[in-house]
Amino acid sequence: MTDAPRPYPGYDVLAKWDTPSWDAITREVVAHRLDRVPERRFFEPAEWETLAALCDTVLPQPDRERPIPLAPFVDAAMAEDRTTGTRWAALPTMREAWRRGLAAIDAEARAVYGRRFHALPADARESLLRAIDDEDVRAPEWRDLPPRRLFRHVLANEIVRIYYAHPDAWSEIGFGGPASPRGYVRLSANRRDAWEADLERPKRRSERRK
Amino acid sequence: MRPRVPSERSRRAVALTALASVGLVAGAAWVSRRRPPRRRPEGSRAARQVRQGAALLAGSVLADSTMEHYRGGFHNRTMFVAPVSSGLALVSALAPGMMTRRARQAVNAGAVGAGLAGHLFHLRNVLRRPGALSWESMFYAAPLGAPGAMTLAGLAGLAATRLETGQPRGAEALRAGRIGSLGTVAGLLGTTAEVALLHFRGAFHNPMMFAPVILPPLAALAVADAARRPDRARLRLARILLRATAAMGLAGAAFHAWGVHRNMGGWRNWRQNLQVAPPLPAPPSFTGVALAGLGAAHLLEEARR
Amino acid sequence: MTRGIPDVRATEGRAPDVFSRDGWVPMRSHRDGEDVDFAIVGTGAGGGVMAAKLAEAGFSVVAFDAGPFFRPLADFASEEREQDKLYWTDERISDGRDPIELGSNNSGRAVGGSTVHFQMVALRFRPEWFLARSALGYGRDWPVDWREMWRAYDEVEDALKIAGPVRYPWGPRRGRYPYRPHEVNASGLVLARGAEALGVGWAPCPIATLSAPRGRAPPCVYRGFCKIGCSTNAKQSILNTYIPRALAAGAEVRDLAMVARIETDASGRATGLHYHRGGEWRFQQTRNVVVAGYSIETPRLLLNSAGPAHRHGLANAEGLVGRELMVHVNDAVWGTMEDEIRWYKGPPSMAVTEHWNYEDRKDFHGGYAIMSQGPLPTDFATSMVGNLGAFGMDLRRRMAGYNHMAGLKIVGEVMPDPENRVTLSDETDALGLPVPRITFGYGENDRAIGRHARGFMSEMLRAAGATDLFETTGTAHLMGGCPMGFSPQDSVVDADGRAWSCDNLWICDGSVMPTGGGVNPSLTIMANSARIGHRIRALAARGELARAA
Repeated sequence: MTDAPRPYPGYDVLAKWDTPSWDAITREVVAHRLDRVPERRFFEPAEWETLAALCDTVLPQPDRERPIPLAPFVDAAMAEDRTTGTRWAALPTMREAWRRGLAAIDAEARAVYGRRFHALPADARESLLRAIDDEDVRAPEWRDLPPRRLFRHVLANEIVRIYYAHPDAWSEIGFGGPASPRGYVRLSANRRDAWEADLERPKRRSERRK
Repeated sequence: MRPRVPSERSRRAVALTALASVGLVAGAAWVSRRRPPRRRPEGSRAARQVRQGAALLAGSVLADSTMEHYRGGFHNRTMFVAPVSSGLALVSALAPGMMTRRARQAVNAGAVGAGLAGHLFHLRNVLRRPGALSWESMFYAAPLGAPGAMTLAGLAGLAATRLETGQPRGAEALRAGRIGSLGTVAGLLGTTAEVALLHFRGAFHNPMMFAPVILPPLAALAVADAARRPDRARLRLARILLRATAAMGLAGAAFHAWGVHRNMGGWRNWRQNLQVAPPLPAPPSFTGVALAGLGAAHLLEEARR
Repeated sequence: MTRGIPDVRATEGRAPDVFSRDGWVPMRSHRDGEDVDFAIVGTGAGGGVMAAKLAEAGFSVVAFDAGPFFRPLADFASEEREQDKLYWTDERISDGRDPIELGSNNSGRAVGGSTVHFQMVALRFRPEWFLARSALGYGRDWPVDWREMWRAYDEVEDALKIAGPVRYPWGPRRGRYPYRPHEVNASGLVLARGAEALGVGWAPCPIATLSAPRGRAPPCVYRGFCKIGCSTNAKQSILNTYIPRALAAGAEVRDLAMVARIETDASGRATGLHYHRGGEWRFQQTRNVVVAGYSIETPRLLLNSAGPAHRHGLANAEGLVGRELMVHVNDAVWGTMEDEIRWYKGPPSMAVTEHWNYEDRKDFHGGYAIMSQGPLPTDFATSMVGNLGAFGMDLRRRMAGYNHMAGLKIVGEVMPDPENRVTLSDETDALGLPVPRITFGYGENDRAIGRHARGFMSEMLRAAGATDLFETTGTAHLMGGCPMGFSPQDSVVDADGRAWSCDNLWICDGSVMPTGGGVNPSLTIMANSARIGHRIRALAARGELARAA
């Protein structure tokens, strides 16, 4: 059950870096994302441990030598107070929701397994999150926090948005990636443009980006 | 759940076809320049014009069908027929010396046949698309009218082959001129219909887009009128309008080049824009039909003498 | 992390040229102390149209927007996270039985408003919907004749060069769309196949992106990032249509200018706007105020503008401001196709069926339109997290099928309900303004629409060959909050968009919509704003801008 999907093993979206599919601002934004992984600024070290384990459970990457960094970008979003525009009435402000959420998950792990969340094996972490999503919680830290709302709409939501905004994730799912000024011509099913990746022929990882 | 990877005609095959087509044209040009045919056909003006018209039509179809079928990914093997057949027709028109007369007749008859079959293939493609015979399918499924250009190219090629045996005189010239005029009228109107559809799709966003739907039908009228009563004034008017149509066809290519520039990324994004912007090789087909029409007018003139 | 939001750009007599990477166009400028004819709050579908209409009529106009003034060619990346800069991401409290998602889901923050990120779907209201109460027996009537609205639709469709089908299959005859339809992508053809199998009509969706060149804007290249800002200008948003028109006609646009309060005098008339720009509070005098901040910011501004003659907030004598907030049911069904669809190619919604908007034999009020879908990766992934609770390898495996997915989603009508509303909370934002609280809950009819639609869409998808279906629920759009009506007792503004209790205050955005219809609201907001613009011109010509006592 832990096999990572690899529908497009040879595909690398970055191979189009130097083509008309990528414009200047997109290169700038993606280069920044790839090259400058932010340092921890917001969360305390103990929170960070829980956060890193949470990211690794929401989107495990045992298949990657260099996993897509997730926790650093969550931390950066909190440091910059970068919100989604929705504060669910049942939840506190975004920063507060994250802090209390991480604490509650950690407390739940201790309540159920007697260990901290990040010290649990992967399958235990996953089943703990499933229980939280089912609102089956016992740690007092939850108090007025609605577990499912918090887990799905705040915590997992942000982690997933970071993961699928990374070129490695685009390559993983076969997404065409940035496309400006050049878009697409062949819009019919099962047709690809010449500049779209040939999925049958594995390519070496692009060396174009320095 | 491993997604099915679609099969597609390999790009290598497409590239080879394109390369072969270009090679064919270049070779034909080379042959006709360096090694004049052993027995140069009796070059009457009419024959020359019809042959030039056939060459332009075939060239236009070769370029346009290669581009459009490439856009369609050559997903059906029969899609190679159009560039191959029009390429052969082009060679027969540009370098008649390369083939025997019988071979040229066969090639051009083949183009006529391929054009007619093309309509059926395109119709099948239209009917398979949701919406069937809707405007949306007319705009974006295989164009129903387009193979007609190849039929025209073949007919013009056959006519050129016929005329090369010698300029007909008198009643024979009148008959030949009228047949040629009929073909010209059909060609002009058919091409106009195709252009009208595509320029309608482009919402006639530039007023110049009306030119190719107004001028060619006027020329067709004049040609028909001249064929009915080939007097001097009528023939003169027909010639003027045919020359204007021929010039318009060339100007059209320039307008379409401007169109490529106006698409996102302009010429720098040529791999996309050559496919989606107005087709560069399409307008000269008007020039081809008009040239053939001038040949027919010449025959009518001959008959009048 | 974001390359970011530009600083104030529209200033010192010039504004960004949106068709260039770094160019400018001249802009008429006014001083704060100058008594301008109209100060407009918001430059989106409502305010942007109004700014152009009034400036073209010769009025002096200053239009304020809280958001930045982008140049799409240089500022818009093909990247979802970066483009969060288009949304209103100040936290707003979402409350009620069915709290709604805000931010990217429905709230833009830029010159051009939400149209900078809208999906470009340009559908008209069904004529009967303007008499929903008297003709169809639900909701409320509009104080406007449908023919007047249809003339306004003609006008805005031409202004946006909508690319639509040659013959639209539903509703009364209409003029031809200015541009022809686009080629429907594979995702749209899934809808078409499903519709044909079930015997309902379908059409290429009329959308506001060019199918042929227009001026300095190229035709659409089908890059598919429409929802996070079009970087080619093919999308016809307010930013690259009405805003350039407004500037050319002499309107001033002030970007990054957050209007906090409308000042009123003892007689209750509006005298000016308090706004925050460039790090300081300022005050613009004006003879008339037009509010177009959309269904949350418009009520928020009015409620925050209490004055001597408006004790409970401006134009709120009857306590109606902020009430009857509506959304659209945005439920969807998704499935896996054997074919490779690659739904990210082309605009997200290229095919539509309005069958259930025009079919009255059904067991619920209102209607819905179904559109084909093409969500970008994070958009699709988060909807699976939010709806299914998918995470872990399960989520990664589901996402691995991205290129084989197809989906159908509705825009379904929600009934107006006074308990669904915008109020001011006790909390304040960074500028010290009260944070709005949005309270929303579905009614029984709204739920019936969702149920019916999910069932029908499942049938359609199955008929088109999809397997492994799953459903998601959600909302889209905002409407209402300051309804337009027939009397001060039933509404906030009259048919001219003029506040019943303040004769130099006008509202022209989605908040005045008395009902939401079963179609995306942007075209209706624009048309209604254009119509109100005509009315204001007519009133001014008759010398009736100040209402006789």
